[in-house]
Amino acid sequence: MDILISSIAAGLLIGMVLAFMSMGLTIIFGVMEIVNFAHGEFLMIGMYTGLLTAQATGIDPLLTLPVAALVGFLLGIICYYGFIKFLMRGPMVAQLLGTFGLMLFLRNLALLFFGPDDRAIHHGILVGKSFNLGMGVIVPATKVAAAGLSVVTFLAVWLLMNRSKIGKALTATSLNAQGARYMGIPTEWMNALAWGIGGASATIAGALLVNFWSVNPFVGILFTMIAFAIVALGGFGSVPGTFLAGLVVGLITEVPGFWDFFTYTFNWNWMADVPMTSLKYMWVYLTYFIIMMVRPRGLFGWKR
Amino acid sequence: MKSMRVLLVVFGILAIFGLMIPSGAMAVREIKIGVIYPLTGGAAAAGRELRAGAELAAKIANNAMSGIDMTMAGNAGIKSLGSAKIKLIFKDHQGNPTLGADLAKKLILDDKVVGILGCYHSSVTKTVSAVCEQYGVPMINGSSTSPALTKRGFKWFWRTTPHDKWFTKDLFEFLKGLTEGKVRGVKAVPKKEIINLASACENTEWGSHVSTLIKEFAKEYGFKARKSLLYSAKSIDLSSEVRSLKAARPDVMLFASYTSDAILMVTTLKAQEVHPKIIWGQDSGFEKPEFRSTLGDNIIGILTRSVFLPQVVQLKKVAREVNALYKAKTGNDLGGASARAFTGLQAWVYILEKSGSTKPADIQRTANSIYIPGKELVVPWKGIKFSTTGEELGQNVLGSGLIGQYQKQKDGKVGLEIVYPFDVSSANMIFPFPAY
Repeated sequence: MDILISSIAAGLLIGMVLAFMSMGLTIIFGVMEIVNFAHGEFLMIGMYTGLLTAQATGIDPLLTLPVAALVGFLLGIICYYGFIKFLMRGPMVAQLLGTFGLMLFLRNLALLFFGPDDRAIHHGILVGKSFNLGMGVIVPATKVAAAGLSVVTFLAVWLLMNRSKIGKALTATSLNAQGARYMGIPTEWMNALAWGIGGASATIAGALLVNFWSVNPFVGILFTMIAFAIVALGGFGSVPGTFLAGLVVGLITEVPGFWDFFTYTFNWNWMADVPMTSLKYMWVYLTYFIIMMVRPRGLFGWKR
Repeated sequence: MKSMRVLLVVFGILAIFGLMIPSGAMAVREIKIGVIYPLTGGAAAAGRELRAGAELAAKIANNAMSGIDMTMAGNAGIKSLGSAKIKLIFKDHQGNPTLGADLAKKLILDDKVVGILGCYHSSVTKTVSAVCEQYGVPMINGSSTSPALTKRGFKWFWRTTPHDKWFTKDLFEFLKGLTEGKVRGVKAVPKKEIINLASACENTEWGSHVSTLIKEFAKEYGFKARKSLLYSAKSIDLSSEVRSLKAARPDVMLFASYTSDAILMVTTLKAQEVHPKIIWGQDSGFEKPEFRSTLGDNIIGILTRSVFLPQVVQLKKVAREVNALYKAKTGNDLGGASARAFTGLQAWVYILEKSGSTKPADIQRTANSIYIPGKELVVPWKGIKFSTTGEELGQNVLGSGLIGQYQKQKDGKVGLEIVYPFDVSSANMIFPFPAY
């Protein structure tokens, strides 16, 4: 039973972290209908920002989050005004290839500045600590913090989008940019803001991730893959959808744990030989594939 | 007219003498050896070490150096070839097997090299050795550990380093020794206390092969492989893997991991409070400086297989002498990559010296019969002797690995101490694995 409970707990926890790191992707798509292939690179930059700020100033990695947020926000704005704005004039395929180019550019820029080696945080208030909640549930402190911040940020973004003037302006821009412009909404600035918020949420997630994951210039692609699956599953552009899809994907990655539960509860030895961990991500992408087939706009997608 | 005649006689005499002098002594020849390593890209740091190791071996072979107890240090060049000097031509394969094969062709056809040394990545060694086999050019490999390389029946390929199968066998010899009380500082441990094994290996060719070897040897040595899982090294979370290992309640946990995943694995083991009696890693990520610096004191007690540890320098005189030269050249101590590159080129020098010829067929004959004793080598092996029969052609059968354990050393830093082979152990083993 311990295995089952700890698997569910771990699945929900990692799910919240995964949702957090996917949020930027859904915000940018929700407002501008641009798929940002460079999302993973924003995360990578957030990881480097957290790491280098903590190392340079000696402060705890958790306290570097505001710096990471600022870097991400500015990076998003700069990317929009310096690059994306021009891409928007082209067809959809130009936008896709454009953000793909941005991904390669940022990755190689990081390679130039930081070199190819792995770097990791060595010390921090939460690094290496965990809480034993009983019933076999042991949760690492860094993930609890990331999950907690995930919930808070999702709530904040949801409130911003649904309960504030800026949110309404963003939604209006996303629904009908021309109409919004006629109503006096500065749509250009709204697009830039979406990139800024999207970028900041990605870099914050990155600065949190670096507490338990080492960083190198190629790390972004690992996160981009899973973020795409989550956002597509939840529905491109849906903030609550992304959160729920994150939880679903988190639980799916725990399939090996559920498998072990049956193996040891019923003592079915043949089950122990099935390479479930090796197939861990297969279930995620299989679910993604099925959802795409039967419901292409995702579980909570509202745009058609 | 008379003076003209005298001049002709003098020329004639000179010409006759000229014909009688052996060509080898007329000018010191060069022996070109193509060296293909990853000098840029992700493995550039290892490439720098490999290059420095090979260069140092060539320097010792080309100059008479006193104070180094090695036959090749006594000769200035290859004596049997008229003191010909070794010339290394370096090429950079960037970890790319196709590029490696192209470079090998260039070295053979354009530079007319006598032979090839390389290539570190097993995948590149595979393609380069295929080119050498096609052209009938000898190749010596000093640092690729995929067992498949010497199972292809190649006639122009020799490998000096032991490979993963041997390293995994070392682990089981070590576990057996633990039950027999052979490990320094540990009383004989009853086998039932360490009988249950669980392994987690990354799921590419290397890791999955190690996983298979672990299962095979476990059966052979009478241990129980309770769980053998494969995982993606590019996984963003390993908690389900670790809980799966924990659920098998193993006494010994075995890993084959690259750097990021090795760090994540140990962090997750700690977070999930997993306390087996032994944790062992198959080199790679478990031996990287980043593993040590990131995890600090948490890794005290963890074992890793290795090919060369700084303690070898303390234990072996010739290693100490070469290490001093290497340190003067690079500022670093000899490591697994540099020591094995040094040994690879050293094998080349001894083979050329013994064959006294640069013809491929002569080199092939000599390589198949050569024996280089362990006292000549910087690495802690019994020597170099290549297998010429059986399923592994060209494999050095006298090589062996080391098992090191992370311990707090005298200077307060965490470093590796040798615990296997038992006769060269440098410290008492910490057993069982202490808390993180």
